[in-house]
Amino acid sequence: MNAPAGEALGARLERYLATLWNAEVRVRDLARIPGGASRETYRFDAEVDGKPRGMILRRDPTGSLIDTNRHIEFLAYKSFHGIVPVPEPLVLDTEGGALERPFFIMSRIDGGQVPSVMNLDPYGQNARAIGEELFGILGRIARCDPATLPLRDCLQPPAPQLCWRAALDEWQAVIERDERHPQPIVRAAIRRLRRNPPPPPAKISVVHGDYRSGNFMHDGRGKILGVLDWEMVHLGDAVEDLAWCFDLLWNHFDDSRVASTISEKDAIAIWERASGLTVDPAALKWWKLFSTVKGCAIWTTSAREFREGGHDLVLGFAGTYSARRHERIMADLLERLVEEGWS
Amino acid sequence: MTPTAQDLLSACIMTLATPPRPEDAGLFAAARLRLVALTNKLAALEAADAAAIRVRENAALRTILAEAGPAHGIAADKLPGDGDYSIATLDAANAALRRLLIRLHEAAEQASDRALDRKILKLYRDMAGWRELHLPPVKPAS
Repeated sequence: MNAPAGEALGARLERYLATLWNAEVRVRDLARIPGGASRETYRFDAEVDGKPRGMILRRDPTGSLIDTNRHIEFLAYKSFHGIVPVPEPLVLDTEGGALERPFFIMSRIDGGQVPSVMNLDPYGQNARAIGEELFGILGRIARCDPATLPLRDCLQPPAPQLCWRAALDEWQAVIERDERHPQPIVRAAIRRLRRNPPPPPAKISVVHGDYRSGNFMHDGRGKILGVLDWEMVHLGDAVEDLAWCFDLLWNHFDDSRVASTISEKDAIAIWERASGLTVDPAALKWWKLFSTVKGCAIWTTSAREFREGGHDLVLGFAGTYSARRHERIMADLLERLVEEGWS
Repeated sequence: MTPTAQDLLSACIMTLATPPRPEDAGLFAAARLRLVALTNKLAALEAADAAAIRVRENAALRTILAEAGPAHGIAADKLPGDGDYSIATLDAANAALRRLLIRLHEAAEQASDRALDRKILKLYRDMAGWRELHLPPVKPAS
């Protein structure tokens, strides 16, 4: 179902859906929205038999912060729809001919807000309620048995004792591939992580991979409507998600609360109740430093693509501001961990 | 390497000069303009002391390499200088010095030289602090 070059996206989408559903389809109010840097995101209404349905199109970009597999992301939505708040996945096209690049379509959740990490106190008086939801949902994701989910078809579980190494190998390789200027701090962090591995998790869980403030939609009254951006989903140690969500980069300028919601202690207690798991402090420390390394890898890729690719400002901003701030967080944490006895 | 102020401003110009597609109008266009504004602020912060920070970091690297390098097998008699102080020259020197620092830190760790290890970790904190760019919070989009 290849589309003629130069045809407007709305017309292509209309034709694609009409063929797929064998019905007359009108696409209305198609508009691109800011929605993550790894895919182009559009909202639109698909009208079939006069009935409109709100939808979201996620299309692969020409350049991206991270190389991700849209099939896995689609299966993540499919796995968790009905378990935690996520949009309903509807259509996946891995060929990409119809819309020039691979894409998927999901139902749209209306009436929600997604704050920028640059916003101060984004949840206001609802911060506690959002925090309870945020870490309760994350605990429920960790509690799920991956073998019972559609994701089992495409994700191989690592051995528990190898979770850390698989994650570190992956992101170190990204740094080595994309680095254009030597980065001694992240090199030192990687060596330290390898010398001080964390205890293995009690079980293998689904790891969202980018679970943080800014990647969920809330209703402005303390309720989370949808967990978004599952493109880095994988199987591993659930504490990885917790540590990433605790990273100071996502705290909205407030070091006293994680994700600008509640205290870290309260977040852990909520997560432990929901997941049925216990957070080992040594594991959390390891995954916190790992989070800064993973962030460094993502920002290294974004800087490379910005300089060598399309000059996308999202990539340029992330490759500068986020990179510098994350490196500071990494250097502070690295020094503290060595003071606490890391070899 | 993180983008330079020149890279960031060039991208802002390209963004503003590229005609938006019909489907980019509305929320995405507004977000794009906010990002152009924020990136201009970032470029201004970076440009204000880009050379000074590089000169300071390069000097700190030369000092630690000169002091500790020879004991760990790293010759410190031909360390690169800052040349004409252009950003490109400073960055080229910085890259060479950082490569030597990585070697020095690995050597210190292998030799269990804890004093040097701590000194390098403190230098890392200083380097990251010098380079960090502090943007003020942004009001949520209405």
